Amino acid sequence: MPRQPEKQSSKRGETVSTVQQVDQFKGNFQEEAREILVDLEAALLELNENSGDMELVGRVFRALHTIKGSGAMFGFDELAAFTHHIETAFDEVRNGRLTIVPEMIDLTLAAMDQIRAMIEEEAETPTANPGVRAEILAKVKRLAGKPDEQPSGEKAAISQSSPEAKSVREHEWHIRFAPGPEMMRNGANPLLLLRELGQLGGLSVRASLEAVPPLGELDPERCYVSWEMVLSTAADQDAIRDVFIFVEDACELTIEPAALPVENAGHPAEMAASEDDVVAKALEEKRTPSGGRRTYDKPDSATSLRVPAAKLDQMVDLVGELVTVQARLSELSARRDDSEITAVSEEIERLTSSLRDNSMNIRMLPIRSTFEKFRRLVHDLARELDKDVELTIEGAETELDKTVIDQLSEPLMHMIRNSMDHGIETAQLRDERGKRPTAEIHLSARHEGGSVLIAVADDGGGIDKKAVLSRAIERGLVTKGAHLSDGEIFGLLFQPGFSTARQVTDISGRGVGMDVVRKSIENLRGTVDVASEFGVSTTVTLRLPLTLAIIDGLLVSVADAYFVLPVSSVLECIELTRKDIERANGKHLVEVRGELIPYIRLREQFNIRTELPEIEQIMIVETGMGRCGFTVDQVLGDHQTVIKNLGRMYRHVQEVSGATILGNGMVALILDPLRLALSAVRAVARRPGGRPGKPGGSNRPRDHSLANAY
Amino acid sequence: MPVTLEQSEKSNVIRLDGAIDIALAAELKKLLLQALGSGREVSVALDGATELDVTAVQLLWAARRQAQVSGVSLALTGKAQEQVTSALRQAGFADAATA
Repeated sequence: MPRQPEKQSSKRGETVSTVQQVDQFKGNFQEEAREILVDLEAALLELNENSGDMELVGRVFRALHTIKGSGAMFGFDELAAFTHHIETAFDEVRNGRLTIVPEMIDLTLAAMDQIRAMIEEEAETPTANPGVRAEILAKVKRLAGKPDEQPSGEKAAISQSSPEAKSVREHEWHIRFAPGPEMMRNGANPLLLLRELGQLGGLSVRASLEAVPPLGELDPERCYVSWEMVLSTAADQDAIRDVFIFVEDACELTIEPAALPVENAGHPAEMAASEDDVVAKALEEKRTPSGGRRTYDKPDSATSLRVPAAKLDQMVDLVGELVTVQARLSELSARRDDSEITAVSEEIERLTSSLRDNSMNIRMLPIRSTFEKFRRLVHDLARELDKDVELTIEGAETELDKTVIDQLSEPLMHMIRNSMDHGIETAQLRDERGKRPTAEIHLSARHEGGSVLIAVADDGGGIDKKAVLSRAIERGLVTKGAHLSDGEIFGLLFQPGFSTARQVTDISGRGVGMDVVRKSIENLRGTVDVASEFGVSTTVTLRLPLTLAIIDGLLVSVADAYFVLPVSSVLECIELTRKDIERANGKHLVEVRGELIPYIRLREQFNIRTELPEIEQIMIVETGMGRCGFTVDQVLGDHQTVIKNLGRMYRHVQEVSGATILGNGMVALILDPLRLALSAVRAVARRPGGRPGKPGGSNRPRDHSLANAY
Repeated sequence: MPVTLEQSEKSNVIRLDGAIDIALAAELKKLLLQALGSGREVSVALDGATELDVTAVQLLWAARRQAQVSGVSLALTGKAQEQVTSALRQAGFADAATA
């Protein structure tokens, strides 16, 4: 019987709710398929390096097999047919009949792009269309030594590949499969799964209708049938499980070795004749006494859930509101001086705080998949530029807020393209410089305080400061004869449209790259830092906040204005008396355990014209370019700060990263210590006799500290 | 309609046409209940069906059981198409397919 997925889906179109459910399930498939493709890509690229690694071949095969099988199940017929051929080629490799050559990897990568386009159901483009696919298949077949023996792929994908008599050891597996209540409604068809399973080897099936309730109570769209099966196959447990990968959460599934391995059990006819016996025998020992209770009735059946990101965002918003209201309650209880209310308020504060941490934690994702994506980029660009480049990855398990991760791809891509194109030298130049022929790009992520540092480092030619400077003079960004520090020179690279590349290539050199990088990172409230040694290496480091929604803040006040500083950046608070001020001779410097630290008066910075209190407080902050103090009237305590954007009017105000609503209804500005310090430095520089202004915008200088500026 | 019920004085005939799957399950259930509720004998004509999925099989199964309990005769008539029986056999419904 042929598969009829299109027919099914068009029929389901008759009921609206089912269509939505099918769409949702298809969405799930697409999402999971995307993940599989990421893994497939990584496996292929690794395979390129170690072509003999059979485990990798297995990984590639399984990924292709899963995409094919599940694709067919959700009506992606063309996808299934196409993938089938690539899978077949890898099956040959797996069986040792074909060896991996680089061309094969490239073809498979190209095929993967087609698969991706088909999964996304994109319209045909010059790069993804049936013509290109036919070409890829023809090449794959030529490589596999089978010139076009099957012109129509359709048949092959659908045909039941009965277990060929392979000399591989086959095992018998006992499989119990009971669909959950929602499985069919979600668009999965258990019969297609069974057929898929049948392709792995000799399968004998027994369906149990025991659990089917009386007609009147029967939910027509729920599957009550469960199956007991014995599968005789050379495939391993993972491969069997992969058949069920898209429904695993929605069903009860056990896969156990049924008996001792049978040598070459490749006689389907014989199997069929005695299949009832086999099943009966295998089942006899396995039959569960209770016979009907399924795991989804138990509370702990699913270990992980897929939730739309929008729902999480909504939850975080709500938690944000809750935090704000909780602050009001705390405020109120402090005023009322009622011990009972205080107790409740404290309890709520504790709960809100852990709720906040928890919901933030849910949004944290490892950066791995973003990093892994770049393996392909490096591979392709290396081919295109004829450079030998190796990408190494470190700290891929580092977790970051989903919103941050989502917005990281593009800047990272620009950075890597830049490294590949401008950074890494030609093979000849590397040789002259006595470098390793294989260049390295190192992608790393790590935590530092409340931030995550993400770095792209290459061992290429480094940045030619003279070239940058002369280009800047040419463009009128810097006056001739100006003396700029390294940091200031590197800062020029972030100027819009700045490029020292002599020619514009496809890859980069249009001068949009670094400017875009800085913009997107600043949107994430992060900073970009460049370090480079000419002829040796370049490292671009992004410093990003862990989360964008709620931070732990320290609430301070100046006169009747409130401000919040991120707790993670505050090192300590010290007092500043009138005497200290006199001792410093009017300079904004304070001595802390022998070290002179400059400070900034928020009162002056924000033009608050009230009288100085007798004793001020200095918050000592680590800005990333040295310590610095902020002088305030009072330190009020910690504050769970829900960050609200200031809105378009204030988008150019860099010193303030947002605002928050306090328990008493007042608004407090959230300060960005680094930006605030930089703007203070600039203000000092503008005074007569000060240092010249920095051209590099917010890119922080590396070689002068705040203390020097004052 | 791929699932129809013809009711007459003496009998109820439910006809299945094309692929009978989850999209038609609710309709099929309704018709089966209606037919069985009449107390007259029921026959389900399978020969037009090109596919029966799990939902259809379990509905027919439940209907037959109910018919037995309430003493109504329910018969599957018409020879099911080869593709339907083979698919059912493959899915482990050996008994159901022959019944």
